[in-house]
Amino acid sequence: MSTKINKFKIFFLSKIKTCILLKPFSFFLNILFLSSIISLLLVSLNWIFFKANWSVINSNLSLFAFGSYPPNEQWRPSLWLVVLTFIALITIYGPKKKWLRKNLVFVWIGTVPLGIFLLKGGFGLIPVMSQNWGGLTLTILITSCSILFSLPFGILLALGRRSSLFVIRKSCSFYIDILRSIPLIAVLFFGQLLIPLFLPYGLEIDRVWRAIIAFTLFVSAYIAEDIRGGLQSIPKTQLEAANSLGLNKYQITRFILIPQSLRVALPALTNQVIGLLQNTSLMSILGLMELIGIGRSILANPEFIGQYIEVYIWLAIVYWILCTLMAFLSKQLEKKMSTNKGY
Amino acid sequence: MRLNRKFFLQIFFILILLILGWAILNNLIINLSRTGIGFNFYWLSKPAGFSLAEQPLRYSPSDTYAWALFIGWINSLKVIFSSLVFATFIGILIGFARLNKNSLIGLISAGYITVIRQTPLLLQLMFWYFVGFLNLRNNTFLNFKHLINFSIQGIDLFGIKFSSEFSALLFGLSIFSSAFIAEVIRGGILSVPFGQWEAFRSLGLSERKGFIKIIIPQALPAFIPGLTSQYLNLAKNSTLAIAVGYSDIYAINDTIINQTGRAIECFIILLSSFLILNLLITNIMGIINKLIIRSRK
Repeated sequence: MSTKINKFKIFFLSKIKTCILLKPFSFFLNILFLSSIISLLLVSLNWIFFKANWSVINSNLSLFAFGSYPPNEQWRPSLWLVVLTFIALITIYGPKKKWLRKNLVFVWIGTVPLGIFLLKGGFGLIPVMSQNWGGLTLTILITSCSILFSLPFGILLALGRRSSLFVIRKSCSFYIDILRSIPLIAVLFFGQLLIPLFLPYGLEIDRVWRAIIAFTLFVSAYIAEDIRGGLQSIPKTQLEAANSLGLNKYQITRFILIPQSLRVALPALTNQVIGLLQNTSLMSILGLMELIGIGRSILANPEFIGQYIEVYIWLAIVYWILCTLMAFLSKQLEKKMSTNKGY
Repeated sequence: MRLNRKFFLQIFFILILLILGWAILNNLIINLSRTGIGFNFYWLSKPAGFSLAEQPLRYSPSDTYAWALFIGWINSLKVIFSSLVFATFIGILIGFARLNKNSLIGLISAGYITVIRQTPLLLQLMFWYFVGFLNLRNNTFLNFKHLINFSIQGIDLFGIKFSSEFSALLFGLSIFSSAFIAEVIRGGILSVPFGQWEAFRSLGLSERKGFIKIIIPQALPAFIPGLTSQYLNLAKNSTLAIAVGYSDIYAINDTIINQTGRAIECFIILLSSFLILNLLITNIMGIINKLIIRSRK
């Protein structure tokens, strides 16, 4: 008992020592930082509660969430967002049922067609043109669609880059290197301009889909590099073991290489997803009404002119929450996918 | 037998690529001939007709498109290399602060890194431009004996004027990249085995001297790959200049496409200019890497 108290004492004394007693310079620095943080906090709290005019956010909440989606149909995107939140919660807290836990990835994949169906309409729902999609819904839709398409494409590219066939290897690395050297905004802009030129006359793809194609082409090059890193981390003994078990090339790729490399690459892939979510904001320059596009159009409204700080801080908070949530989700996924759970 | 199969697989792949390329090219030719634009580079020598706000060299609207593109290229280089220096400086500072034993400083830098990394760069650039500089109106924010002067016209440093677009871009890019560079620095320092710290402490070196003489030289080679990729990202991110109206190479390409409709030629120009830029940055970093390795011998 007494040793416990002693340990406690020593711990606290050492804390106090490192904080205050031994280093007067550090102590002084701490006081300086603390006081400046507190004063900054007071100023910003004062601004948030008394000076800022939050009506620009309050009166436009539905715009921020759905863009100019018809008001009668807004239950559709909100239903999709609710489903997404629900699945995110399931992922975080861990599903009880075993089949759900095993097929969580497929549930996530399934949300994308569901979202497209709910937004687009058809099959009994009133069709809504993609010009009317906007806000948070559009941001999340572009992100999820691009990830869904670019993941398989990126895996193929990564496998192609390690292929033993000269032509495939060279063309895959050519594609990856070129796409990685151009800025995203250029890819998006030329995607909007050039995709119609490359398609046969008469066939048209609307803006949102052109953006998704451009994002897919761009992100898959980055994902390919991340997955290549994962592939390289797989020890050669795994391949030897698989060969000695008599698996063929397809089985080795499907059951040995891809799952392990995905697990290793998961943190890097999360960074790509977070980057993609942030980069969907570039579409506002090219005229799509996603979160920042909505913010820009609200700021252009004479009623809310000059209220930049409120709108920007609000948007920053929304993006920050989304990105942090994604990072958290991927940490949970990482835990679930980890092999060291005991046998 | 096996070689044969591989050979045919490659032939098959090439055929698919050729068919795909032919289909795309065919559509392109049909579409281009329909719009009547064609494909050539003669327009580069025609007068551009637009004016530029930012001109490091003499430029007038009657100059050629090629000259306008060159001005844009110089503007890009200017903003990239100046924000590269600032980003490295701030990044090193924050990276060291993150490792500091003082938990308050560590907390502040961790907060800085998450806030900067989890919000889009475009939003930050717009913030610096519309809130940071255009909000200053005409009254100056910081006027220190005419040495430094922040105003709506930008920064005036010792009589050298920087436009508000350039300054906003410089602020946004360097602060955004600094958060990523800080993580690179932290990772590099953590990659030095902990035994090295214990060793210099047991030799009686002071914390500061040991950090500078023992830890940093060993961490330097670990910084280089991360820094290179962050610098390349910075160069690519600098194209967001168009959001604040700074005329860099991408913004000028954009203007030219809107004027002439020559999307394909401009795409080729932009692609080659970024390939050159990437080569430039990777080569410079390669030279620095060599110097570091040589100095360790």
